Amino acid sequence: MSWLSRLNPRAQGTRTSRHAAPSSPCTADPETCLMVFQNHWRQVSGVLKQRESSVGGSADDLTAVRNHTDQMLCLLAEERPAEGDGESPAMGPILEMVEAENILEVLVQWHVRRGLDPDSQLELLKLFEMLIGQSHQPLLLHSAVLQPLLCLLGACLDPQLGCPTALESSLVLLLNQVCVSMAKQTAVLELLFRCGSVQQGPTNLLIFSLLVPFIHRDGALGQQARDALLLVMATSASNHAVARHIAENSYFCPVLATGLSGLYSTLPRKIEVRGDDWHALRREDWIGVSSLVLFMNSLEFCNAVVQVAHPLVRCQLLDYLHNGFLVPVMGPALHKSSVDEMIASTAYLDLFLRSITETSLLKTFLRFILLHRHDNDTILDTLLTRISSNSRLCMVSLSLFKTLLSLNCEDLMLQLVLRYLLPCTHVMLSQRRAVRETDLYGKSADKFLSLIPECCRITAMPSSELDEEPAFWGKVLGSPTTESPVHPRPSTPSRLALFIRQQSSGVPANPSSGSEDTPSSPRGSISSPLSPDSPMHQLLDASEGETGYLEYLHDARRGIELCYWACRDWSAPYDGENPSPNSAPPPPPPPTSNPSLNMVKEHFSLTDASQQRAAVMATAHAEWSSSEQDSGEWDVTINKNCISLTPRSKKRSLLPSSKPLQSSLSSSSVSTEKTGAMETVSQHSYSTPHPALYNGMGQVEFADTVDERMKVKKVKRETDINSEVAESVQNGSVVMGPIDASLPYNDFNVGSKLKSSQVQMNPQPQTTLPSTSQECLQSDGQGSSSVPGLTETSSVTSDRRGHESVERLIEELLERAPSLSGDFKCQGISIEAFHQELRELEERVRERKVLSHSFEESCRDFRTAAPSLTDEDSLPVEIEQRSSETKPESSTTGVFSPTRLLGQPLAQPYTGPFITVLFSKLENMMQNSLYVNILLTGVVFQLACYPQPLVRSFLLNTNMVFQPSVKSLIQVLGSVKNRIEVFAAAHEDFPAMLRKAHRFLVARGKLDSIDSPMGAPNLRRSDSSIKSRKPSLGDLILRHTNSPTRARHAAQLALAHVRDGGQSLHSALFRGGKGGGASGLEKQAEALRVKNAVYCAVIFSEFLKELAALAQEHAVALPFPPSQGIEE
Amino acid sequence: MNPFWSMSTNAGRKRSDSEEQSGQGEQRSSPARPPLGKKQLPSIPKNAVPITKAASPASSTQSANGTHASYGPFYLEYSLLAEFTLVIKQKLPGIYVQPSYRSALMWFGVIFIRHGLYQDGVFKFTVYIPDNYPDGDCPRVVFDTPVFHPLVDPVSGELDVRRAFTKWRRNHNHIWQVLMYARTIFYKINTMDPLNPEAAVLYDKDIQLFKSKVVDNVKLCNSHLFDQPKMDDPYAISFSPWNPVVHEEAKEKMFAHKRWPEDYKGLPVSGLSWVKTGSTQPFSKEDNPLQT
Repeated sequence: MSWLSRLNPRAQGTRTSRHAAPSSPCTADPETCLMVFQNHWRQVSGVLKQRESSVGGSADDLTAVRNHTDQMLCLLAEERPAEGDGESPAMGPILEMVEAENILEVLVQWHVRRGLDPDSQLELLKLFEMLIGQSHQPLLLHSAVLQPLLCLLGACLDPQLGCPTALESSLVLLLNQVCVSMAKQTAVLELLFRCGSVQQGPTNLLIFSLLVPFIHRDGALGQQARDALLLVMATSASNHAVARHIAENSYFCPVLATGLSGLYSTLPRKIEVRGDDWHALRREDWIGVSSLVLFMNSLEFCNAVVQVAHPLVRCQLLDYLHNGFLVPVMGPALHKSSVDEMIASTAYLDLFLRSITETSLLKTFLRFILLHRHDNDTILDTLLTRISSNSRLCMVSLSLFKTLLSLNCEDLMLQLVLRYLLPCTHVMLSQRRAVRETDLYGKSADKFLSLIPECCRITAMPSSELDEEPAFWGKVLGSPTTESPVHPRPSTPSRLALFIRQQSSGVPANPSSGSEDTPSSPRGSISSPLSPDSPMHQLLDASEGETGYLEYLHDARRGIELCYWACRDWSAPYDGENPSPNSAPPPPPPPTSNPSLNMVKEHFSLTDASQQRAAVMATAHAEWSSSEQDSGEWDVTINKNCISLTPRSKKRSLLPSSKPLQSSLSSSSVSTEKTGAMETVSQHSYSTPHPALYNGMGQVEFADTVDERMKVKKVKRETDINSEVAESVQNGSVVMGPIDASLPYNDFNVGSKLKSSQVQMNPQPQTTLPSTSQECLQSDGQGSSSVPGLTETSSVTSDRRGHESVERLIEELLERAPSLSGDFKCQGISIEAFHQELRELEERVRERKVLSHSFEESCRDFRTAAPSLTDEDSLPVEIEQRSSETKPESSTTGVFSPTRLLGQPLAQPYTGPFITVLFSKLENMMQNSLYVNILLTGVVFQLACYPQPLVRSFLLNTNMVFQPSVKSLIQVLGSVKNRIEVFAAAHEDFPAMLRKAHRFLVARGKLDSIDSPMGAPNLRRSDSSIKSRKPSLGDLILRHTNSPTRARHAAQLALAHVRDGGQSLHSALFRGGKGGGASGLEKQAEALRVKNAVYCAVIFSEFLKELAALAQEHAVALPFPPSQGIEE
Repeated sequence: MNPFWSMSTNAGRKRSDSEEQSGQGEQRSSPARPPLGKKQLPSIPKNAVPITKAASPASSTQSANGTHASYGPFYLEYSLLAEFTLVIKQKLPGIYVQPSYRSALMWFGVIFIRHGLYQDGVFKFTVYIPDNYPDGDCPRVVFDTPVFHPLVDPVSGELDVRRAFTKWRRNHNHIWQVLMYARTIFYKINTMDPLNPEAAVLYDKDIQLFKSKVVDNVKLCNSHLFDQPKMDDPYAISFSPWNPVVHEEAKEKMFAHKRWPEDYKGLPVSGLSWVKTGSTQPFSKEDNPLQT
């Protein structure tokens, strides 16, 4: 309703000053005014009559008429209605006269006959606007005013040209005034409508037709037009005839919808990203982008129209929005092939969803997302697959899903999660009843907490460090010195506050203390008097340090309560019985489940995988090239002898100029030569097992390959990506080089090299030309299909050589890069970008190895074994065990299971792509960047807030027994725990690094909590709920620091710590160097790996506490009754 | 400080729904559940087993007295809270309980008997939950004033709960069942192995005398209604004579009360759902014109 409230009669201030009535007539008595008016009119009539006789008329005439008209209309405007009989006050004498003599009509007709010049037209518009805006009488109810007005307006409507530009602002202002007074006297609408139908024929709501063209204008003009239209909408909401007219005879809805399309096309294709943690558009992000502001204004207007308009209009508008904006514009935009565009469109969609408040508009968007198919995939499917990509696209997608989850929409949850769980095939038959059970005795919570790795339980801290810790730090660490538990406040103990909440006012709360704040003052409960014999007494003493956990409990309670509240009108409880598991339609199978295509699929999946990886890489590059990277990230300077890290500032602006270079320089001769060189190298690497590469690094990509395999992608799209990849990769190559773009292109291009080595038979360099992409695709396919043969022959090579081959490759990369070999000092190299590439490399090496060995065999095995389910079921586990015996640090296990690779037969339970992708992302927590992990755990947290027993039991009931093929959250977390522990064992200074990471995150959280009260963006739902958070360790998992400034501050604040951390990471590396010729770059990649892993360890521990808290809070949550009985 | 309880208010409010529910209540008190506990597989997934084994010596000691035992109080509190939530969800007819301010292991309660031999009885009681809950014995129920009843100890006022819950089984037995049982004894009188043999004998042999004794007892109990609570606890249930100034307002609040989430501002008016009841298809519900 803010729209309507904005529409206060706005003219007063400005108008009165300009048209300050001649002799302040309000003080004069009506009689005098009438006399003055008559006097003016007499003179005007004189001129008019004169005009009638002599054609032409002088400028003097015009001026005279204008002056008199001015005075007359002022008098009319100032006139008060006469004391009438009862409710309808009589007209004032002037108005009576105006009506009797039809003065305004005569005047306007005179002007029209005279030939309206823009000047006098403008003057008239202004006069009428003043008249209508300031009049004390309902002038528009009188046809003596209305008719001339319509006549004037009609004259403004040029059939060809529309309204002359000079008149626009006055016209809109006048129309706005008309609409304002119409909103006051609804009868005016009817009059306007009827008068119009006589004169204008089809476009009989003239004011409306005049306003529509201004809908999408920017600035005040557009705002006034939209305000006016909204008033028409609101006024016509109860007038069926007018509504029908608007729906059937006006272009209002199509203009609105297609206008959005037009505006969307002007939005930036690429979002300039500030800060690593950026993942969603906030108000402060887009308020400076004029095209976005324009779009958001129009979207907001749509939202308002949907809110106030007649159902007919609303339905039509929604229809047009769906078919005229979402489907033709948003759909393709979301499927754009370039990663930048994907990021942008996903972020836009997220923003739109967060901005819409009207349920039916939201429904239109959701319907589009859930049901509309673009290239056979629903939008939802497409968006889901993006989560598995790397970095920014993943973050933006996660953020979108967070928004979606926050809608608490049954339809969405059904498509996303519930329909896969409904048949209950994921649980053992005997367990179905347990679906509804809650964690009554804290068993699940205990289980989650027990997964906190030993190494992450920081027990004792050096006292020197203790002092600088934030106050709440101590809570989790259990260090009693930081906070004394003396809280003399006699407040209600927290648990009793809970009771009170549930008992509602049946038992009045302890009146002396507000029970509201008790959850956040846990110490109250601890120091509260306990009867000495109560067992709580001793136990609470022990728990004193664990108040951080209370924050999590509080958060969890709030989350669950809100979710319960929002879901109270759902159609079913989803408790494993209703809807009945038997009646539930079988959910769609995993995308790659067509057995007949297995072999082909597999090849495809290979290509897919490689392409996807390349795409992922491209993402990384794109991000690097687009971000300023100044938020706590590091510039890595490489010299031959040492690596130094310097905090990154804004100094880097990367390479927009690289593009023109590449087209001219990517000559095929160079590339093929390179390709040849690479081929030899990579042939070695294909076949050579390289144990060191097994742990860690390659994981993310590997997960991607699996996930990618589950995608059914149109070849065309892949091709697009492919070409796009090449483009971005070339961008990326410049990241490696010197900052000035004078670098010759041909010297170093890791990306394309990788590409060409993957696709061995590719005769062409991977250029950006779209024309070659088709070809590339073909050769890609061939290349990968020939892999098995190739690897079989060369699979005898030893470990040693494999090691060397990678190193050689790296050496080669180093040498090839002139920036590195020629110019030793101060080359900015982006560690992550390089790390990406390195990872690609290792990944490929490892993948080939896998391919050549077990995979090839297992493929053959599985081709035959595929139909028999039982074998398959046990297989992944076996493999996992085997690998964990030989290489305990091997972490490939969970994700890489041949079963999934070949696609699961229909009968096998499948928990859906959302769960799958979240779990595989979780499984790779160690490799995810900090921000991905923060978002990721946030999404899982939100999902786990859902009170529907199917969801709750699947995620949080650790005692549930699932079918063997169904991976549970606890399993995934178990494997992460495992990896963290292995990692910690391998790094002796892990505790120190952990503490530093902790401190950085706490600092970040503190900063955020300081930041949030002021200038909190008013994005409803997601943000509003977060504001109330208190600074706590819960803010470690801070899911809302997406403000660039905030991130920057945090970075600055915590920089010192992190720098220490970073250096110690490095020193650790140097000390623990694994002998041999590990190059500097490898070390850096390792450093990044360490950094991610350490952050992961922190986030992981906190996440487990969150989950435990959720499990506990679910047990004590009370549902809300459906809202039917309650007034809405 | 003390919450005011008004007998008339509460009795009047609850009467209607309690009658409907009293029938089902009996069956509910002994739900047939599959013996899930016994057949449970190890909750740790297979691939995680090596991990836990490696770390198990450490973690087992830890769960006993280490860091993570410090979550213990949360478990106990939450278990009791969860039990209390279950009680609320059961909407037991005529029974009100309120955990003590001092200990979650002690609940104050009152039971209103609406018909039968004990009609008009208002019996205050206290529930004592063993501190090793849920692994200990069943909770004890002690009436503030010993009720004349075969199963209630005439001296201590303790109800024989154990006969209904010979062994307290976590996951199967819940406190609401004990409360339900405490109500049932007043409607279905059992004289086997009585704690109050006199009452048992009278009931079997001389029902008229039994009845009159019960009436006397009810009167006695009700005459002590306005006594100060035995336990000096802010959350102890205390009765006071109807005082319009105090109780009218409280009553109105009670009836007008609607529960909202802690901070519900900015939430959509109602949850989003366009799923037709009984369907599992998204957007299967007809467009309703209500969406204005």
